[in-house]
Amino acid sequence: MDINIEIYLKEEELKLFKDIIVNSIRARFESVKASIGIVALSGGVDSSLVAALSKEALGDKLLCLIMPEENVSPKEDIEHALELVKKFNINYRIININGAVDWFKKRFEEIDLENKNEKLAVANVKPRVRMILNYLYANALNGIIIGTSNKTELLLGYGTKYGDIAVDFYPIGDLYKTQVWQLADFVGIPTEIVRKKPSAGLWVGQTDEEELGHTYYEIDRVLYCLVELELSVRETSKLLNIPEEAINDIYRRVIASEHKRKIPIITRLSRMCLDKDWKYPVDRH
Amino acid sequence: MDKILKAGIAQISSRLGDIEFNKRQVIKGLHLGKEKGADIVVFPELSLIGFGSGDIYLDKVEENLEALKEIIEETKKLNLWAIVGYVDKDERGFFYNTAALIGAGEIKGKFAKTQLTNYRLFDEKRYFKPGSTLPVFPTPFGKIGILICEDVWFPEASRALTFRGAEVIFVLSASPFDRGKIEIWDDFLKVRALDNIIPLVFVNMSGIQDGVTYWGGSAYYSASGKLIKRLKLLVDDFEVIPVDLEEPKRLRRRDIRVREVRREILEEILRAYEEMSKWI
Repeated sequence: MDINIEIYLKEEELKLFKDIIVNSIRARFESVKASIGIVALSGGVDSSLVAALSKEALGDKLLCLIMPEENVSPKEDIEHALELVKKFNINYRIININGAVDWFKKRFEEIDLENKNEKLAVANVKPRVRMILNYLYANALNGIIIGTSNKTELLLGYGTKYGDIAVDFYPIGDLYKTQVWQLADFVGIPTEIVRKKPSAGLWVGQTDEEELGHTYYEIDRVLYCLVELELSVRETSKLLNIPEEAINDIYRRVIASEHKRKIPIITRLSRMCLDKDWKYPVDRH
Repeated sequence: MDKILKAGIAQISSRLGDIEFNKRQVIKGLHLGKEKGADIVVFPELSLIGFGSGDIYLDKVEENLEALKEIIEETKKLNLWAIVGYVDKDERGFFYNTAALIGAGEIKGKFAKTQLTNYRLFDEKRYFKPGSTLPVFPTPFGKIGILICEDVWFPEASRALTFRGAEVIFVLSASPFDRGKIEIWDDFLKVRALDNIIPLVFVNMSGIQDGVTYWGGSAYYSASGKLIKRLKLLVDDFEVIPVDLEEPKRLRRRDIRVREVRREILEEILRAYEEMSKWI
């Protein structure tokens, strides 16, 4: 099979993609008549890129919320977040989430952190607390929450339902992680942010690639074949020279996380069921 | 003397369902065209009602027909020709993705999109019936053929317009951006111009709707398949472009590819098509 895997963006595409994303942020902002755009800034590459592009789109009408969990979020992430807001001259607030997370933990006394499910349940409280803070600010300031999820995460379902993926729109949601790195370099995100190991910051020492069991380079190539080129698992395996089992491992995540990319399923009783038959644009005049 | 058609390309960003806004954009474009000396001002596909996937079409057709009347009136005042994309309705109540050719106060012709898009984000068959005719319209500036978007992704429609004697083909479009889209459009337009030895004027929508970017980049391809002019990408733009209607005639003196198309081969294509259509 001679198929070109053109996942990397060409030089001329980087500028065009940047312009399209910036325009789209401005368009959403204007469409809902927002007064401010809000980005939850972790100090990672995705939120740094979204913050920088939002700054270009919205100027001073942008607020970054830096919401670390002390003793869990790496110190360097907070430093990176501060470095970014300084470099791009972005308004920001720092809000420590420990108190809120602890409050929830105390509601669930029997937590066994050795139990995988319970550990994850507690970990998921953190992005959900950040989501509540996002919407607290958004509601109070007539803001719109600009999401930072990328296509790789959205496809793998590597995000917390009603947590970090609960936002008003996804400006970089059609870019794979490896493309995010490229675009981040292109717009001048500090190199140390672009180069560091990605982490969801859910517990100390967590890295995405370790948790996912594959590098983003591998994952993106596999997803690109499955999703963009619409190849089968077998064809993907052959093309990339990766065992079918590894492809299946990634593909299973895509299938299992469909619910995270849709509104909740509605039991259909009428001819105009709202998640199935009803088809109206969001930008409606 | 060279026969030149001064084509005003009005690359506008229509909003889906916002007829009042779109109408104002079209009227603004007409005035710009008049100021800049255009013979005819051409607007994108569905420029009056907007493009996108949404049942909004079902509610807004009457309003878009009313707006068309106002636009016709405006061309009368300005003594100007125009091509405007809108949704038309026939006597049975069926909707068509249509382009109206308006000649200074009256509709001179209509063209309904023949190849409706129904893949990926497109859902046109949910609303529209396809047209099945490929007319060519006489104007004071030359014989005009009109195609809408997907029509030019198939070779047959521009072929038919060429056989009918079109001197230029206007391609109205609302093309959603995705990776590689600009390049593939460039290929198709170039090939259609080259194949038929005919100038092509591509008029694309700009702006963003529900996260979908209409990429603009309207363009003029000469009868020799050269990209002569490209408008701005992504944003609204307006240009009056001199379209050379003599070049195809000059080229066709020696280039026999239109003249020598053989009836036998066209019939063979039809037979082959019938075979393809019968699976069992």
